[in-house]
Amino acid sequence: MLKGKVSLDVSNLDNFEYDMSKCIKCKGCYWVDHIYMSGVDFSTRCPSATRYMFDSYGAYGKMRIGLAMLEGRMEYSDELLKTLYACTLCGACDVGCKRNLDLEIELSLEALRIKAVQDGKGPMPAHKKVAKKITEKHNRFGSPHQNRNKWLTKDIKVAAKADVLYFVGCSAAYVNPEISRATAKILNAAGTPFMLMPDEWCCGNVLYSVGMIDEARELAKRNVEAMRKTGAKTLLVSCAEGYRTWKVDYPKMLNISTDELGFKVVHLTELVDELIKKEALKLTKPVDIRLTYHDSCSLSRLSEPWTPWKGERGKWGMISPGLERRRGTNGVYQQPRDILKAIPGVELVEMVRMKENAFCCGAGRGTQEAFPDFAAWAAGQRLFEAKTVGAEALVATCPWCKDNFTRVAKQNGDDLKIYDISELILAAIEG
Amino acid sequence: MAISKGAYRVLETIVGEEYISSDPVVCEGYRSGPGGYEAGLGYERVMTKIPGCVILPLTTEEVQKIVRACNRYKIPYVPYSTGWYGPRSHCHVEDELLIDLKRMVDFEIDEKHLYAVVGSGVIYSQLQEEAMKRGCYIIVGGGGSQCSAIANMIGDGWSPLSYRIGLPHRRILGTELILPDGELVEMGSLAVQDDPFWGEGFGPDLRGLLRGFTGLRGCMGIVTKMAIKLLPFQPERLKPTGISPHTALELPTNRVKWINFTMPSKEAMKDAMFEMARAEIGAGVTKVPIFWRAIAKASCKEEYWDIWSKESEETISGFHLLRVLLVGFGSEEQLEYEERVLNDIITELGGEARRTRPTDESWFKNADSAGMWLMCGGYVSVDYVIETLEHALPHGENYAELKKKFTPPLMPDYGDPGWFQSFELGHQGYSEFLVYWDPDENTDGVDHFYLETSKENIRKRFYTSLLGPHQPLYLTGPAYGPNYHKWLLAVKDEFDPNFLSHPPVPLAHDEFVEKAEWMRPMKDWESPKLP
Repeated sequence: MLKGKVSLDVSNLDNFEYDMSKCIKCKGCYWVDHIYMSGVDFSTRCPSATRYMFDSYGAYGKMRIGLAMLEGRMEYSDELLKTLYACTLCGACDVGCKRNLDLEIELSLEALRIKAVQDGKGPMPAHKKVAKKITEKHNRFGSPHQNRNKWLTKDIKVAAKADVLYFVGCSAAYVNPEISRATAKILNAAGTPFMLMPDEWCCGNVLYSVGMIDEARELAKRNVEAMRKTGAKTLLVSCAEGYRTWKVDYPKMLNISTDELGFKVVHLTELVDELIKKEALKLTKPVDIRLTYHDSCSLSRLSEPWTPWKGERGKWGMISPGLERRRGTNGVYQQPRDILKAIPGVELVEMVRMKENAFCCGAGRGTQEAFPDFAAWAAGQRLFEAKTVGAEALVATCPWCKDNFTRVAKQNGDDLKIYDISELILAAIEG
Repeated sequence: MAISKGAYRVLETIVGEEYISSDPVVCEGYRSGPGGYEAGLGYERVMTKIPGCVILPLTTEEVQKIVRACNRYKIPYVPYSTGWYGPRSHCHVEDELLIDLKRMVDFEIDEKHLYAVVGSGVIYSQLQEEAMKRGCYIIVGGGGSQCSAIANMIGDGWSPLSYRIGLPHRRILGTELILPDGELVEMGSLAVQDDPFWGEGFGPDLRGLLRGFTGLRGCMGIVTKMAIKLLPFQPERLKPTGISPHTALELPTNRVKWINFTMPSKEAMKDAMFEMARAEIGAGVTKVPIFWRAIAKASCKEEYWDIWSKESEETISGFHLLRVLLVGFGSEEQLEYEERVLNDIITELGGEARRTRPTDESWFKNADSAGMWLMCGGYVSVDYVIETLEHALPHGENYAELKKKFTPPLMPDYGDPGWFQSFELGHQGYSEFLVYWDPDENTDGVDHFYLETSKENIRKRFYTSLLGPHQPLYLTGPAYGPNYHKWLLAVKDEFDPNFLSHPPVPLAHDEFVEKAEWMRPMKDWESPKLP
């Protein structure tokens, strides 16, 4: 819709016709913010366009292709599906574009995938397999549902009722128990009682990311209702992807604001940072290591709260009522850094691309499932960047990032250590 | 004629199958519009096509082989580095080969002799940062930091910093050029040795082949490598700060300082520019178009219009903002001295310093041209002159008056005469006239204004820089020549006998006027039947 009624409803691609038609090919979505440009190396922030090179893989190409889809000028093909799905939806393009313009690039890309599913062409076969596992086993790995709480050890105290509910997520429940255990022990150490969901299901992050909005919305309704029933005031996550799903995607799918969820969504790093600053948690044990911090996309530039909007677009493309754009400015950037700086012995060195300019690890939003080579390539790029600043270890705030980095580091024979931040926090508490 | 399978196989052999595609999805990704510089206008709608095939060479040798194959198989082609220069840098004919040069990112820097050798895919902000790491700097042209340095050096390439550094073609040193028939020409000192340190070569200065005055938009071959002159800067680093969209370079104010002044009149601004030059102070200067301030203040499009709609002809005609850059290149004392001299000049002319942030949001590393689309969604600079300040001022004022007849569809700017400044320490004056429109309204009037500016230049004897492919050649050629168009076409024919390098440039605007029925009533000049 170029003029007239418009909304941010991603299930209707018409809503993003204006955004797609106003891309000016400045490629701010591709390059690192020029102010932070570090030279000829590490100069791009879009994994897809950096890997596949043709303009069709950058947001500037996808906006043109999307417009052709909307106008019925583009047939579905393997190349079209690859263009839509060999993309980490990491938000780098959105932040880059919105430095200067008011265009909704990330939402356009999400809407394109949703359209592909609506048209019966998407998602990719690998995504359908994951969706089946989620439907049947309530987790993305297809593991037995009854094993979801197997990560719990006897030394972890879980309350029957508490203000804080720890939503563990599929990764930390089944594949990365070191993260869930560390998170729980940190909460125990800080004297913050927490409960678990009586019957936790997958958050549906992959479903939404690949355009299966109907299935994702059903999970969102189920999970939000389950959370509300517990009476907890805060939903705590240790997974950046889960953080964005609960804080942004659920409200988006349910047409409510993040505030209207009825509970706060908090990442472990936000809570721990607050506890440290209130002196309720002390990190005293030294962890002697030179490390670098990787900004997980969904905790950083993609994490600003959601507010539904509908209105009209008129002359000059102005919209009414006004809309406060999500430009990635208020992502969780500083808290993890402050935590790491508070750990005795840690020497934090920054990579060239950091905060809103960070280069995605390549794992999320359905990429790893459908394009594992691309996901591995992206992680390899980032690991190389970490090594160029002399880091001995790389720290992330998301199990998706940790897993992808760990796998690729192992494949490459890298000696770089990969940690989730929860592990380092716990090490600084327990020694 | 579509690219034949045989030709495709030849091209694929040159670059490898990963770097060539004729898939419709890939080709659609290279569409010029509907957004971008000059996009959404008639020229883009009528004259541009999606490519028939896209190829990504890595080396000069590959480019040379591709161009030779194009000549062998009669495939029209266009070089493309970032695609930023709107429709004029995109395919114009069916089944054209788009040669995307983004993989060509070779980069070398010679700190001792102050030059960098760059490939076609290297952009300005990369080059500027590499230069600044070594205590040097370049101009990031007004086109923006996202421009290919080579493309901008052979097209536009100026900014407020041109006041001291000068025009880009003076900083083009050794150059590799693949001529339209595939022959490799080395220019400047590369013509005689391997060291690209100097711009002058044997015989006539072939840099004219590269750019004319404001660029030939790919119709005279492909530059694959260029040595660009670097200038010595001051020793302290400019520190990046903030999170998007509020990012800026923090300036070491003992060495680098922007100062904004309100001046009593345009004449006073012009006099200040002259006096600065006479005193040989300053590293940059510009008259600030008033709506740029509104863009800088606004957090979104709607806020821009809140701010801008409060302006009027009265407020704009009485507000004159001069922005001056001071750099203590040699010492802190130099900056102190220049600031004292500048303040004397401004005081004598009745100006007043305003509070100015100790940061740089644009011009050093981030010429923020993308922000030009915030207000309306459509933008092009319809003209620029590089002549004298005495010439530049009336040029802008005249255009502002002419523009009133075309507003709407153009954005109201209440008579603001655009951007003007001095170049090369006052020896040249610059005027650029920027226009904005809503691309989702009827834009015929914008097309008319664009062409009318060309006629106005002829009527009023303004020395435009937008000759060559930017306006109908048979309109401007006889007026500026009298046989300038014949020379240009003869040179084109000599170097590109098969007319394959970005056809129908340099006759594209002529063809546009013929093809677009809403333009035909404006055609009051003679031209032969176009090929």
